[in-house]
Amino acid sequence: MTTAEKDSQGEELKTWEPRILAFLCNWCSYAGADLAGISRIQYPPNIRVVRVPCSGRINPFYLIKSLQAGWDGVLVSGCHPGDCHYISGNLVARRRFAILKDIIEFMGIDPGRLNFSWVSAAEGEKFSKVVKEVVEKVKKLGPIEKLIKV
Amino acid sequence: MKEKILLKEQLSKLVEELMNKYTVFAPIKKNEFYIFDKITSPEMIDLEYSNTKIPPKELFFPPAETLFTYTKSGEGIEIVETNNSDENRVILGIRPCDVLSFLLLDKFFNSGKFQDPYYQKRRENTILIGLLCNEPQSTCFCTSTRGSPFSEVGMDISLTDLGEKYLVKSLNIKGDQILEQISVLEHASERDIFDATQLTKEALAMIKNEIQIEDLYNKFEKLFNNDAFWLQFSQKCIGCGSCSYLCPTCHCFDVVDEETPSGGKRIRLWDTCQFPLFTLQGSGYNPRSGGKERIRQRVMHKFSYYPKLLSEIGCVGCGRCIRNCSVNQDIRIILNAAQEIEGG
Amino acid sequence: MENLQGSMREIVKNLLNEQQVDLVIGYENGTIPLRTSPCFVTKEAEVQKLVWNSWCDLDLTKFLFKPENQNKKVGIIVKGCDARALVVCIAEKQIERNKTFIIGMPCPGILDRKKIEAAIAPKEILEAEVIEDQVIVKGKDFEQTLPKKDYLQTSCLACHYNNPPIYDVLVGGEPIELLTTEDWDAKLSEFEAKSPEERWAYFTTLLRDCIKCYACRNACPLCYCKECFVDQTQPQWVGKTIDLSDIMFYHIMRAFHVAGRCIGCGACTRACPMNIDLRLLSKKLERIVKERYNFEAGLNPEEPPAMGTHKVDDPQEFVTEGN
Repeated sequence: MTTAEKDSQGEELKTWEPRILAFLCNWCSYAGADLAGISRIQYPPNIRVVRVPCSGRINPFYLIKSLQAGWDGVLVSGCHPGDCHYISGNLVARRRFAILKDIIEFMGIDPGRLNFSWVSAAEGEKFSKVVKEVVEKVKKLGPIEKLIKV
Repeated sequence: MKEKILLKEQLSKLVEELMNKYTVFAPIKKNEFYIFDKITSPEMIDLEYSNTKIPPKELFFPPAETLFTYTKSGEGIEIVETNNSDENRVILGIRPCDVLSFLLLDKFFNSGKFQDPYYQKRRENTILIGLLCNEPQSTCFCTSTRGSPFSEVGMDISLTDLGEKYLVKSLNIKGDQILEQISVLEHASERDIFDATQLTKEALAMIKNEIQIEDLYNKFEKLFNNDAFWLQFSQKCIGCGSCSYLCPTCHCFDVVDEETPSGGKRIRLWDTCQFPLFTLQGSGYNPRSGGKERIRQRVMHKFSYYPKLLSEIGCVGCGRCIRNCSVNQDIRIILNAAQEIEGG
Repeated sequence: MENLQGSMREIVKNLLNEQQVDLVIGYENGTIPLRTSPCFVTKEAEVQKLVWNSWCDLDLTKFLFKPENQNKKVGIIVKGCDARALVVCIAEKQIERNKTFIIGMPCPGILDRKKIEAAIAPKEILEAEVIEDQVIVKGKDFEQTLPKKDYLQTSCLACHYNNPPIYDVLVGGEPIELLTTEDWDAKLSEFEAKSPEERWAYFTTLLRDCIKCYACRNACPLCYCKECFVDQTQPQWVGKTIDLSDIMFYHIMRAFHVAGRCIGCGACTRACPMNIDLRLLSKKLERIVKERYNFEAGLNPEEPPAMGTHKVDDPQEFVTEGN
């Protein structure tokens, strides 16, 4: 490509902000995110939130489809193990997520696109830190290219 | 219809000359099998092959084809037709059975009131240079389906492999026009033509499969409700669909829309009657819910409905379904079994 | 290997005569060389059709799911891998153990017809014979002898359980050794050490040929869902085109659905008309659940499947702590 094209790509990259889709469980993580908001804790505005009743509700299809649709990163967040509103939904999610992450990273998707966390309703500060960490990770990876559907 | 000679060492030159005016498709070796592919350099071509894995129907009727795209906005919906069948193409080295498959596909895509513009355009813009068969495989049964290893029907130009050279024969005006532009052809001798005739005889003798198909449609009609007959074959079938996907005459398709909030595209995809979803109705009822209904459908479509309705046999005897079936289902066994049923 | 054929037939004959089973599912000779085909035997007269040889590659567990075989007492011929598939199906409550009579065949490894055809191509093989550890293939104007151990299926080379871990009768009475093996654990580790770019390049090159015929899914003994995710339209998860994105999506999600269940039988690879070899991926699936949950599929029908259970102390090193 021409120098001008390279330059404009570089410019685009400098201004590019990752788009992260966050699946938050209603009882803990969503409430935690809410608390962060109420407490006016600053965190990067890169996430879009989808509220689910439980992290165990999350069908791995949602996560892969998100990457295919062009989301640069995905965050799944639920209650701490032992604290799930539905007793064990988060434990189910944990195994599912582990397997999915292992598979896609084995096949070459950059580690860091799929993220998982435990955030309770009282952890507004933690939520903001998790988001910061995820955004930074994805920023380093660059815009998603693998798996994206043209 | 004058015969010419092309020395095998000149094949690359011929392809180069064709590539000046046409997009050329020919068999290439990929992994352990052959497929037709767009030729970007003449060295890619390998004509020392029996037949391709995927039939050349994919060059006229691709596995996935965008029919049109559309965008949605405040003003409404704008449709943009995809026009990707304009290029002038040559398919080089295609087998007689596969050429005959196009004539059958024509009956479906180009018939009567409803003409398929995507398929039709490609057909009009494509020249077929066939490669006649010196060594039919043990699974070939083209002679039972009104074909032959040396059939030139449907081709514009035919090639016969004489060892160090090809006998090149133009079969119509289109073929004449192409050959006039090729600089590397020599005159064929009487000997060359004689050799080709000998090869025809040898090839025909190599075909061991003799299946009575002509009057089979009557027997199949009588077998329609004979569950036990179909069960003996459907019990092996795992419904993988390989037979339909690799069949040169199978042409069923599905049409799907892939949408995003701002628009989308309509895509035509290969489908197969061997998938349960093929006949699943919105109500949830499936008239072909079992394997025996589906296998009956496929066999009768080719060997009963087509002969009855179109006076054609819906199969060209290429043998791909036999070689590639995951469970070694063999259409020859099914046809012979039907033949042995009394009556009809 | 072929020496077990006689004992196998005797056992089947007795089972049918004593009416211990309504049907026996086994292998019969194929109609073309290098093949066998599933065989459904209900009468003593048909028992002679059954064979046991180096071409018995199919996983017959699949046929237990056929509607016509439900509500029957079925005898089934299984190799080590097939038996493990059966165990998974029993553990997942899809097949009833007491309705199945398991005829276990100790297996030294099955030949890979595609590898042999590729070695001989473009010539056509018209006859093939296995004598001891040699394969003799013949065609028009040629005869060639190949060493059996160079032409085993990839899944056999990577196999750890060639003797059925579950059976009602073990034909021959003795477990046997595999003819040869390859260290696929080492291959997998070598692959895992590559960069994400290299691994993505490997998988996209491997899967680029996929024509989305779903033969892999249909051949897999564990893909028994009446409605597969591929066929769901509300919502449509998987795009049905052959774009690379849709191909990768399908294979990622099928891998996910068989994770913790895949026993590496290779039925998917065998069925694939485009010769795509998924052994590396299936090996990884086995490793994931072994390392994380100390679970190996298909050995114990009483053990709950890895993805059907959970523990409070499951590993969670991947969790983002937000530091």
